[in-house]
Amino acid sequence: MAPSDEELVEQFQNGDSSAFDVLVRRWERKIQGAIYRLVGPGEDVRDLSQETLLKAYRGLGTFKKEARFSSWLYQIALNVCRDRMRRGRGKSYVSFDELSETGETGSEPGPSALDLIEARDLSRQVAAAVSALPQEQREVVVLKEYQGLTFLEIAEALDVPLSTVKTRLYRGLGQLRQELVRQGIRGGAPVPAPTS
Amino acid sequence: MDCDAFRDEMMDLLYEEASPAVVRRLDEHQAACRACRDELSSFRRLRRDLASWRTPPDVGRAPRRLWSSRAYLAMAAALLLLVTGALAVRGSELRYEQGRFAFRLGRVLEPSAVSAALAAQEERHRREIDALRAAVAASSSEEATLRKVQRMIEESEARQATLVSAGLTRLEERTEARRQYDLAQVGAGLSYLDGKAGLQAARTTELMGHVLQASQKK
Repeated sequence: MAPSDEELVEQFQNGDSSAFDVLVRRWERKIQGAIYRLVGPGEDVRDLSQETLLKAYRGLGTFKKEARFSSWLYQIALNVCRDRMRRGRGKSYVSFDELSETGETGSEPGPSALDLIEARDLSRQVAAAVSALPQEQREVVVLKEYQGLTFLEIAEALDVPLSTVKTRLYRGLGQLRQELVRQGIRGGAPVPAPTS
Repeated sequence: MDCDAFRDEMMDLLYEEASPAVVRRLDEHQAACRACRDELSSFRRLRRDLASWRTPPDVGRAPRRLWSSRAYLAMAAALLLLVTGALAVRGSELRYEQGRFAFRLGRVLEPSAVSAALAAQEERHRREIDALRAAVAASSSEEATLRKVQRMIEESEARQATLVSAGLTRLEERTEARRQYDLAQVGAGLSYLDGKAGLQAARTTELMGHVLQASQKK
Protein backbone atom coordinates (compact mmCIF):
# COMPACT_ATOMS: atom_id res chain seq x y z
CA MET A 1 0.00 0.00 0.00
CA ALA A 2 1.38 3.36 -1.04
CA PRO A 3 2.18 5.73 1.79
CA SER A 4 -0.06 8.76 2.18
CA ASP A 5 1.17 12.27 1.54
CA GLU A 6 1.32 12.94 5.24
CA GLU A 7 3.40 9.79 5.85
CA LEU A 8 5.81 10.83 3.12
CA VAL A 9 6.07 14.30 4.63
CA GLU A 10 6.92 12.75 7.97
CA GLN A 11 9.57 10.54 6.36
CA PHE A 12 11.08 13.58 4.69
CA GLN A 13 11.14 15.51 7.93
CA ASN A 14 12.86 12.54 9.57
CA GLY A 15 15.67 12.74 7.06
CA ASP A 16 14.49 10.55 4.18
CA SER A 17 14.93 12.92 1.26
CA SER A 18 13.75 10.32 -1.25
CA ALA A 19 10.23 10.72 0.14
CA PHE A 20 10.06 14.05 -1.63
CA ASP A 21 10.71 12.35 -4.96
CA VAL A 22 7.61 10.22 -4.41
CA LEU A 23 5.58 13.32 -3.64
CA VAL A 24 6.87 15.03 -6.76
CA ARG A 25 5.96 12.07 -8.95
CA ARG A 26 2.52 12.02 -7.38
CA TRP A 27 1.73 15.72 -7.71
CA GLU A 28 3.84 17.11 -10.52
CA ARG A 29 1.36 16.51 -13.33
CA LYS A 30 -1.58 17.87 -11.37
CA ILE A 31 0.30 21.00 -10.42
CA GLN A 32 1.28 21.60 -14.02
CA GLY A 33 -2.34 21.16 -15.08
CA ALA A 34 -3.52 23.72 -12.54
CA ILE A 35 -0.84 26.20 -13.55
CA TYR A 36 -1.67 25.71 -17.22
CA ARG A 37 -5.30 26.57 -16.59
CA LEU A 38 -4.47 29.50 -14.35
CA VAL A 39 -1.85 31.27 -16.44
CA GLY A 40 -2.41 29.81 -19.88
CA PRO A 41 -0.13 27.79 -22.14
CA GLY A 42 3.51 28.49 -22.73
CA GLU A 43 6.94 27.85 -21.34
CA ASP A 44 5.97 29.55 -18.12
CA VAL A 45 3.96 26.48 -17.10
CA ARG A 46 7.02 24.32 -16.68
CA ASP A 47 9.03 27.09 -15.05
CA LEU A 48 6.26 27.87 -12.60
CA SER A 49 5.80 24.21 -11.82
CA GLN A 50 9.48 23.82 -11.03
CA GLU A 51 9.42 26.97 -8.94
CA THR A 52 6.48 25.57 -7.01
CA LEU A 53 8.20 22.27 -6.33
CA LEU A 54 11.44 23.96 -5.34
CA LYS A 55 9.61 26.14 -2.85
CA ALA A 56 7.86 23.06 -1.53
CA TYR A 57 11.21 21.29 -1.14
CA ARG A 58 12.64 24.22 0.80
CA GLY A 59 9.59 24.61 3.00
CA LEU A 60 8.71 20.98 3.61
CA GLY A 61 11.12 20.68 6.51
CA THR A 62 9.08 23.19 8.50
CA PHE A 63 5.65 22.17 7.20
CA LYS A 64 3.45 21.93 10.30
CA LYS A 65 0.80 19.55 8.97
CA GLU A 66 -1.98 21.87 10.08
CA ALA A 67 -3.34 21.55 6.55
CA ARG A 68 -3.23 18.76 4.01
CA PHE A 69 -0.07 18.50 1.94
CA SER A 70 -2.13 18.88 -1.24
CA SER A 71 -3.70 22.12 0.01
CA TRP A 72 -0.29 23.44 1.02
CA LEU A 73 1.21 22.53 -2.35
CA TYR A 74 -1.64 24.14 -4.29
CA GLN A 75 -1.32 27.21 -2.08
CA ILE A 76 2.32 27.52 -3.13
CA ALA A 77 1.37 27.04 -6.79
CA LEU A 78 -1.35 29.71 -6.54
CA ASN A 79 1.07 32.17 -4.95
CA VAL A 80 3.65 31.47 -7.63
CA CYS A 81 1.05 32.07 -10.35
CA ARG A 82 -0.18 35.26 -8.68
CA ASP A 83 3.37 36.57 -8.38
CA ARG A 84 4.01 35.84 -12.03
CA MET A 85 0.82 37.57 -13.15
CA ARG A 86 1.50 40.50 -10.84
CA ARG A 87 4.93 40.97 -12.36
CA GLY A 88 3.25 41.05 -15.75
CA ARG A 89 5.46 38.37 -17.16
CA GLY A 90 2.53 36.05 -17.59
CA LYS A 91 -0.99 37.04 -18.34
CA SER A 92 -4.06 35.06 -17.66
CA TYR A 93 -4.96 34.09 -21.15
CA VAL A 94 -5.42 31.08 -23.31
CA SER A 95 -4.05 30.88 -26.82
CA PHE A 96 -6.67 29.36 -29.03
CA ASP A 97 -4.10 28.66 -31.71
CA GLU A 98 -2.08 26.54 -29.35
CA LEU A 99 -5.15 24.71 -28.18
CA SER A 100 -6.06 23.88 -31.75
CA GLU A 101 -2.70 22.18 -32.32
CA THR A 102 -2.59 20.02 -29.25
CA GLY A 103 -5.14 17.47 -30.31
CA GLU A 104 -6.58 17.62 -26.85
CA THR A 105 -10.12 16.88 -27.83
CA GLY A 106 -12.05 13.88 -26.64
CA SER A 107 -10.06 10.68 -26.51
CA GLU A 108 -12.94 8.35 -27.23
CA PRO A 109 -12.13 6.09 -30.18
CA GLY A 110 -13.65 6.82 -33.53
CA PRO A 111 -15.07 10.34 -33.30
CA SER A 112 -16.21 11.80 -36.57
CA ALA A 113 -14.50 14.80 -38.12
CA LEU A 114 -17.51 16.89 -37.25
CA ASP A 115 -17.32 15.72 -33.64
CA LEU A 116 -13.63 16.64 -33.49
CA ILE A 117 -14.24 20.10 -34.89
CA GLU A 118 -17.11 20.74 -32.54
CA ALA A 119 -15.17 19.46 -29.55
CA ARG A 120 -12.19 21.62 -30.47
CA ASP A 121 -14.37 24.68 -30.79
CA LEU A 122 -16.05 23.94 -27.49
CA SER A 123 -12.66 23.44 -25.82
CA ARG A 124 -11.46 26.81 -27.07
CA GLN A 125 -14.59 28.56 -25.96
CA VAL A 126 -14.49 26.99 -22.52
CA ALA A 127 -10.83 27.89 -22.13
CA ALA A 128 -11.53 31.47 -23.12
CA ALA A 129 -14.50 31.69 -20.79
CA VAL A 130 -12.56 30.33 -17.81
CA SER A 131 -9.62 32.62 -18.47
CA ALA A 132 -12.01 35.58 -18.58
CA LEU A 133 -13.25 34.91 -15.04
CA PRO A 134 -12.08 37.15 -12.20
CA GLN A 135 -9.00 35.65 -10.57
CA GLU A 136 -10.73 34.56 -7.35
CA GLN A 137 -13.48 32.74 -9.23
CA ARG A 138 -11.05 31.26 -11.76
CA GLU A 139 -8.90 29.81 -8.98
CA VAL A 140 -11.87 28.12 -7.36
CA VAL A 141 -13.26 26.81 -10.64
CA VAL A 142 -9.88 25.39 -11.67
CA LEU A 143 -9.21 23.77 -8.32
CA LYS A 144 -12.68 22.27 -8.09
CA GLU A 145 -13.65 21.46 -11.64
CA TYR A 146 -10.29 20.46 -13.06
CA GLN A 147 -8.14 19.51 -10.09
CA GLY A 148 -10.89 17.76 -8.17
CA LEU A 149 -10.00 19.18 -4.78
CA THR A 150 -12.62 19.00 -2.05
CA PHE A 151 -14.18 22.21 -0.80
CA LEU A 152 -12.20 21.84 2.41
CA GLU A 153 -8.90 21.47 0.53
CA ILE A 154 -9.69 24.55 -1.54
CA ALA A 155 -10.57 26.53 1.58
CA GLU A 156 -7.22 25.51 3.09
CA ALA A 157 -5.31 26.36 -0.08
CA LEU A 158 -6.93 29.77 -0.37
CA ASP A 159 -7.13 30.32 3.37
CA VAL A 160 -10.77 31.38 3.20
CA PRO A 161 -13.95 29.98 4.81
CA LEU A 162 -15.81 27.11 3.17
CA SER A 163 -18.81 29.29 2.42
CA THR A 164 -16.58 31.75 0.54
CA VAL A 165 -15.31 28.93 -1.65
CA LYS A 166 -18.83 27.81 -2.51
CA THR A 167 -20.01 31.36 -3.17
CA ARG A 168 -17.09 32.01 -5.52
CA LEU A 169 -17.76 28.73 -7.28
CA TYR A 170 -21.46 29.45 -7.64
CA ARG A 171 -20.77 32.88 -9.12
CA GLY A 172 -18.02 31.54 -11.34
CA LEU A 173 -20.24 28.78 -12.74
CA GLY A 174 -23.03 31.30 -13.30
CA GLN A 175 -20.71 33.58 -15.24
CA LEU A 176 -19.36 30.68 -17.29
CA ARG A 177 -22.85 29.55 -18.14
CA GLN A 178 -23.75 33.07 -19.22
CA GLU A 179 -20.60 33.43 -21.35
CA LEU A 180 -21.05 30.08 -23.10
CA VAL A 181 -24.67 30.84 -23.85
CA ARG A 182 -23.58 34.17 -25.30
CA GLN A 183 -21.21 32.26 -27.58
CA GLY A 184 -24.05 30.09 -28.77
CA ILE A 185 -23.38 27.03 -26.65
CA ARG A 186 -26.71 26.01 -25.28
CA GLY A 187 -25.54 23.11 -23.11
CA GLY A 188 -25.49 25.11 -19.92
CA ALA A 189 -28.47 27.22 -20.69
CA PRO A 190 -31.32 26.83 -18.24
CA VAL A 191 -33.95 24.58 -19.69
CA PRO A 192 -37.35 24.90 -18.12
CA ALA A 193 -38.33 21.66 -16.56
CA PRO A 194 -41.58 20.21 -17.84
CA THR A 195 -44.46 20.98 -15.60
CA SER A 196 -46.09 17.93 -14.23
CA MET B 1 -38.81 29.81 0.28
CA ASP B 2 -35.34 31.36 0.38
CA CYS B 3 -33.44 29.64 -2.45
CA ASP B 4 -30.21 31.45 -1.58
CA ALA B 5 -30.05 29.43 1.61
CA PHE B 6 -29.64 26.31 -0.56
CA ARG B 7 -26.89 27.74 -2.73
CA ASP B 8 -23.99 26.19 -0.81
CA GLU B 9 -25.79 22.90 -0.53
CA MET B 10 -26.43 22.95 -4.26
CA MET B 11 -22.68 23.16 -4.81
CA ASP B 12 -22.22 20.22 -2.44
CA LEU B 13 -24.78 18.26 -4.39
CA LEU B 14 -23.35 19.25 -7.76
CA TYR B 15 -19.90 17.98 -6.79
CA GLU B 16 -21.17 14.99 -4.83
CA GLU B 17 -19.92 16.17 -1.47
CA ALA B 18 -23.32 16.50 0.13
CA SER B 19 -24.15 14.37 3.15
CA PRO B 20 -27.27 12.18 2.94
CA ALA B 21 -29.12 14.64 5.14
CA VAL B 22 -28.29 17.52 2.82
CA VAL B 23 -29.29 15.48 -0.22
CA ARG B 24 -32.64 14.70 1.35
CA ARG B 25 -33.27 18.30 2.35
CA LEU B 26 -32.36 19.62 -1.09
CA ASP B 27 -34.48 17.01 -2.83
CA GLU B 28 -37.42 18.16 -0.77
CA HIS B 29 -36.72 21.76 -1.70
CA GLN B 30 -36.33 21.04 -5.41
CA ALA B 31 -39.55 19.11 -5.48
CA ALA B 32 -41.28 22.35 -4.61
CA CYS B 33 -38.91 24.82 -6.33
CA ARG B 34 -38.71 24.70 -10.10
CA ALA B 35 -36.06 27.46 -10.31
CA CYS B 36 -33.59 25.53 -8.16
CA ARG B 37 -34.34 22.35 -10.10
CA ASP B 38 -33.64 24.11 -13.39
CA GLU B 39 -30.48 25.72 -12.08
CA LEU B 40 -29.03 22.46 -10.80
CA SER B 41 -29.68 20.73 -14.11
CA SER B 42 -28.13 23.63 -16.06
CA PHE B 43 -25.03 23.46 -13.87
CA ARG B 44 -24.78 19.74 -14.59
CA ARG B 45 -24.88 20.40 -18.34
CA LEU B 46 -22.34 23.18 -17.87
CA ARG B 47 -19.98 20.75 -16.17
CA ARG B 48 -20.16 18.46 -19.18
CA ASP B 49 -19.11 21.42 -21.37
CA LEU B 50 -16.31 22.38 -19.00
CA ALA B 51 -14.95 18.85 -19.20
CA SER B 52 -14.14 19.43 -22.88
CA TRP B 53 -11.18 21.60 -21.92
CA ARG B 54 -8.28 19.25 -21.44
CA THR B 55 -4.62 19.96 -20.93
CA PRO B 56 -2.25 19.39 -23.86
CA PRO B 57 -0.27 16.14 -23.84
CA ASP B 58 3.01 17.89 -23.05
CA VAL B 59 1.67 19.43 -19.85
CA GLY B 60 2.74 17.24 -17.01
CA ARG B 61 5.62 15.68 -18.86
CA ALA B 62 8.46 15.26 -16.47
CA PRO B 63 10.79 18.26 -16.68
CA ARG B 64 14.39 18.37 -15.60
CA ARG B 65 14.39 17.67 -11.90
CA LEU B 66 16.53 20.34 -10.42
CA TRP B 67 15.19 19.52 -7.01
CA SER B 68 16.03 15.83 -7.10
CA SER B 69 17.16 14.88 -3.65
CA ARG B 70 19.00 11.91 -5.16
CA ALA B 71 21.19 14.25 -7.13
CA TYR B 72 22.01 16.18 -3.99
CA LEU B 73 22.73 12.96 -2.13
CA ALA B 74 24.97 11.73 -4.95
CA MET B 75 26.94 14.97 -4.89
CA ALA B 76 27.24 14.86 -1.12
CA ALA B 77 28.41 11.23 -1.25
CA ALA B 78 31.01 12.05 -3.89
CA LEU B 79 32.29 14.94 -1.81
CA LEU B 80 32.46 12.76 1.29
CA LEU B 81 34.40 10.09 -0.60
CA LEU B 82 36.81 12.71 -1.90
CA VAL B 83 37.46 14.15 1.54
CA THR B 84 37.79 10.69 3.07
CA GLY B 85 40.23 9.65 0.36
CA ALA B 86 42.32 12.76 0.85
CA LEU B 87 42.48 12.20 4.60
CA ALA B 88 43.37 8.55 4.09
CA VAL B 89 46.23 9.48 1.78
CA ARG B 90 47.46 11.87 4.44
CA GLY B 91 47.31 9.01 6.94
CA SER B 92 44.57 10.51 9.07
CA GLU B 93 42.26 8.29 11.05
CA LEU B 94 39.09 8.37 13.12
CA ARG B 95 39.01 6.25 16.27
CA TYR B 96 36.39 5.38 18.81
CA GLU B 97 38.01 4.72 22.17
CA GLN B 98 36.54 4.70 25.64
CA GLY B 99 33.22 6.07 24.50
CA ARG B 100 34.72 8.98 22.59
CA PHE B 101 35.61 9.68 19.02
CA ALA B 102 39.16 10.77 18.31
CA PHE B 103 40.26 12.24 15.02
CA ARG B 104 43.91 12.50 14.10
CA LEU B 105 45.16 14.38 11.06
CA GLY B 106 48.34 12.91 9.58
CA ARG B 107 50.27 9.63 9.95
CA VAL B 108 51.28 7.83 13.12
CA LEU B 109 55.12 7.63 13.68
CA GLU B 110 56.96 4.78 15.37
CA PRO B 111 58.66 5.63 18.77
CA SER B 112 62.15 5.28 17.30
CA ALA B 113 61.23 7.59 14.46
CA VAL B 114 59.84 10.06 16.96
CA SER B 115 63.12 9.96 18.92
CA ALA B 116 65.17 10.45 15.76
CA ALA B 117 62.99 13.34 14.69
CA LEU B 118 63.32 14.96 18.11
CA ALA B 119 67.11 14.52 18.08
CA ALA B 120 67.36 16.04 14.62
CA GLN B 121 65.21 18.93 15.70
CA GLU B 122 67.36 19.50 18.80
CA GLU B 123 70.52 19.45 16.70
CA ARG B 124 69.04 21.95 14.31
CA HIS B 125 68.11 24.21 17.20
CA ARG B 126 71.63 23.94 18.63
CA ARG B 127 73.16 24.98 15.31
CA GLU B 128 70.84 27.92 15.07
CA ILE B 129 71.72 29.03 18.64
CA ASP B 130 75.46 28.80 17.89
CA ALA B 131 75.05 30.85 14.78
CA LEU B 132 73.20 33.47 16.78
CA ARG B 133 75.95 33.57 19.42
CA ALA B 134 78.67 34.04 16.77
CA ALA B 135 76.72 36.86 15.29
CA VAL B 136 76.45 38.54 18.69
CA ALA B 137 80.24 38.22 19.26
CA ALA B 138 81.01 39.64 15.85
CA SER B 139 78.83 42.62 16.50
CA SER B 140 81.51 44.13 18.91
CA SER B 141 84.01 44.73 16.03
CA GLU B 142 81.47 46.46 13.96
CA GLU B 143 82.29 49.85 15.51
CA ALA B 144 85.97 49.70 14.45
CA THR B 145 84.90 48.64 10.99
CA LEU B 146 82.60 51.59 10.80
CA ARG B 147 85.40 53.96 11.81
CA LYS B 148 87.73 52.42 9.25
CA VAL B 149 85.16 52.72 6.51
CA GLN B 150 84.53 56.33 7.53
CA ARG B 151 88.24 57.10 7.32
CA MET B 152 88.53 55.47 3.93
CA ILE B 153 85.60 57.53 2.72
CA GLU B 154 87.22 60.74 3.98
CA GLU B 155 90.54 59.89 2.29
CA SER B 156 88.79 59.15 -0.90
CA GLU B 157 86.96 62.44 -0.75
CA ALA B 158 90.27 64.31 -0.13
CA ARG B 159 91.90 62.62 -3.10
CA GLN B 160 89.00 63.56 -5.26
CA ALA B 161 89.20 67.20 -4.10
CA THR B 162 92.96 67.37 -4.88
CA LEU B 163 92.47 65.91 -8.30
CA VAL B 164 89.70 68.36 -9.09
CA SER B 165 91.80 71.33 -7.90
CA ALA B 166 94.83 70.30 -9.99
CA GLY B 167 92.65 69.81 -13.01
CA LEU B 168 91.16 73.25 -12.64
CA THR B 169 94.61 74.81 -12.33
CA ARG B 170 95.86 73.11 -15.48
CA LEU B 171 92.78 74.16 -17.36
CA GLU B 172 93.28 77.79 -16.29
CA GLU B 173 96.89 77.76 -17.46
CA ARG B 174 96.05 76.27 -20.80
CA THR B 175 93.25 78.77 -21.30
CA GLU B 176 95.59 81.72 -20.56
CA ALA B 177 98.26 80.44 -22.96
CA ARG B 178 95.71 80.07 -25.69
CA ARG B 179 94.45 83.59 -25.07
CA GLN B 180 98.00 85.02 -25.34
CA TYR B 181 98.59 83.11 -28.55
CA ASP B 182 95.37 84.36 -30.07
CA LEU B 183 96.22 87.98 -29.12
CA ALA B 184 99.59 87.66 -30.79
CA GLN B 185 97.97 86.33 -33.93
CA VAL B 186 95.54 89.24 -34.00
CA GLY B 187 98.39 91.78 -33.50
CA ALA B 188 100.42 90.29 -36.34
CA GLY B 189 97.43 90.42 -38.62
CA LEU B 190 96.81 94.08 -37.87
CA SER B 191 100.46 94.96 -38.49
CA TYR B 192 100.33 93.19 -41.83
CA LEU B 193 97.25 95.14 -42.79
CA ASP B 194 98.87 98.40 -41.68
CA GLY B 195 101.93 97.64 -43.83
CA LYS B 196 99.88 96.89 -46.92
CA ALA B 197 97.85 100.09 -46.51
CA GLY B 198 101.05 102.25 -46.18
CA LEU B 199 102.57 100.74 -49.31
CA GLN B 200 99.41 101.37 -51.30
CA ALA B 201 99.35 104.99 -50.12
CA ALA B 202 102.98 105.52 -51.19
CA ARG B 203 102.24 104.09 -54.63
CA THR B 204 99.22 106.35 -54.98
CA THR B 205 101.27 109.39 -53.97
CA GLU B 206 103.97 108.48 -56.49
CA LEU B 207 101.39 108.09 -59.26
CA MET B 208 99.83 111.42 -58.44
CA GLY B 209 103.27 113.07 -58.66
CA HIS B 210 103.81 111.66 -62.15
CA VAL B 211 100.37 112.95 -63.25
CA LEU B 212 101.16 116.45 -61.94
CA GLN B 213 104.50 116.55 -63.68
CA ALA B 214 102.92 115.49 -66.97
CA SER B 215 100.25 118.15 -66.79
CA GLN B 216 102.77 120.88 -66.01
CA LYS B 217 104.83 119.87 -69.04
CA LYS B 218 101.78 120.44 -71.28
